[in-house]
Amino acid sequence: MSRQGNGGASGACAILVQDAVKVFPGGVRAVDGVSLCVDESDVVCVVGPSGSGKSTLLRCINGLEEMDSGSVLVHGVRLPGSRADLMRVRRMVGMVFQQFNLFPHLRVRENINLAQRLVNKKSRDEADAATESLLAKVDLTDKAEAWPAQLSGGQQQRVAIARALALDPKVMLFDEATSALDPETIGEVLTVMKRLAAEGTTMVAVTHEMGFAREAADRMVFMENGKILEQAPVQEFFENPREERTREFLSRIL
Amino acid sequence: MELEFREGVVVKHPASERAASHGSHPAGPARAAARWLVAAGILGWLAWRGVTNLDYHWQWYRVPGFLVQIQDGRWTPGLLLQGLWVTFKITGASLALSLALGLITALLRLSGSVAGRLLARIYMELVRNTPLLIQIFFLYFVVARIFAISRFWSAVWALSLFEGAYASEIFRAGIVSIARGQWEAAASLGLTGFQTYTRVILPQAVRRVLPPLTSQAVSLVKDSALVSTIAVYDLTMRAQSVVSETFLAFEIWFTVAALYLAITVTLSAVAQAMEARLRVRT
Repeated sequence: MSRQGNGGASGACAILVQDAVKVFPGGVRAVDGVSLCVDESDVVCVVGPSGSGKSTLLRCINGLEEMDSGSVLVHGVRLPGSRADLMRVRRMVGMVFQQFNLFPHLRVRENINLAQRLVNKKSRDEADAATESLLAKVDLTDKAEAWPAQLSGGQQQRVAIARALALDPKVMLFDEATSALDPETIGEVLTVMKRLAAEGTTMVAVTHEMGFAREAADRMVFMENGKILEQAPVQEFFENPREERTREFLSRIL
Repeated sequence: MELEFREGVVVKHPASERAASHGSHPAGPARAAARWLVAAGILGWLAWRGVTNLDYHWQWYRVPGFLVQIQDGRWTPGLLLQGLWVTFKITGASLALSLALGLITALLRLSGSVAGRLLARIYMELVRNTPLLIQIFFLYFVVARIFAISRFWSAVWALSLFEGAYASEIFRAGIVSIARGQWEAAASLGLTGFQTYTRVILPQAVRRVLPPLTSQAVSLVKDSALVSTIAVYDLTMRAQSVVSETFLAFEIWFTVAALYLAITVTLSAVAQAMEARLRVRT
């Protein structure tokens, strides 16, 4: 499963980030010349201190942030690009947010149906059927008619994962998906994420859950100050990190 | 710990006893009724003093004739009810039009188009900072002549433009109050800007701004009285003409106030019911 593929030919990468730069107003270089190749079916965990640009990098991949320079290729579709390209990328990329961002005015079923109906133009019955199996996948079959506010944080996040999976994405992005959760409910979300990883879903996860990274990731990326300081296969990263700074970071959080 | 617990019981006991006696004691409702009777008595006495000391010849018996008339054995609306119907039509049309104008203006102000933002801003500032009465005159005596608009529609447009400016600020506040995460979730799902607005943002924003929008609608009902100045035969205009013929100033104006009150209270009740329904859903 684990492949090196670092900066290889673009045909081999599910996601190829080239020299991405994102400068926020005020001059903070959140992402400062990042290049990254994520192979198909790879699980890449991005770690690093807060403010190191991990989330911003993730948001560049599906065009939530516009890059100041550089480019992203997702299965051959380039960003920055036309509006149509942006929409194609977003259909191929599912994203899970730290704060879940479920639509509070829609029931769980409608949250998951919405994009299927509007973007994939499915009929109500088709969408309902797909939603049923998505809810089964995140262990929430009995919550289809619930309102988001009636669910626990862990349940909401699992609905958010089902919603992100609804367009059958080629790539899943997780932006600190468990950081806003109670310790008890983190496990149920990580279980779902591990299941996806085992199914061969291409994933990029910004996370602080080193246990999850060790178990599920193929490769690790360590970022600081908007730059990738080190990337390595997961075992090498944890057991024998090259950089002094990575070692220091790992020793502090492990 | 034990002491605290005992203290809690001691404090709680008399309170619960009082609560129990309040609910079951037969004197409770009787005392409440007595209070109401006293209050009603005082008000009645004040009203009676007002009526007698005013030295005014009250002729309430003449009022029903202006509400409904019986002609050839059939009930027909009197002059005041005819006016009420016109007021209904004007406020109904203006309400729909002002909400549409308000929403469009709010969306323009939040749009990426510089020209759109400027246009919306100019409209909003111009209308909000000048008196409605002058706007009605301007629309009727100038604009209506240019575009050959009827008296009725001049009134509707003047009211709509005026209330729409306020409604736009209410909509805008509602839209910007929706968390950024909602926009991002919709965008990451591949929704277009239009879909994001209609399916995600506006349904939530409208729920939040229902209370101020209701106030605005109530203002609209009352402001519609100003269209009598361009001789639209609404409730106020009818009342003026009836008063000038009959000199029943107090009876007619009190009746008219009650009719406006009936409309606005109904409107508020409908809005409150909508709000309650939406609250249960979220």
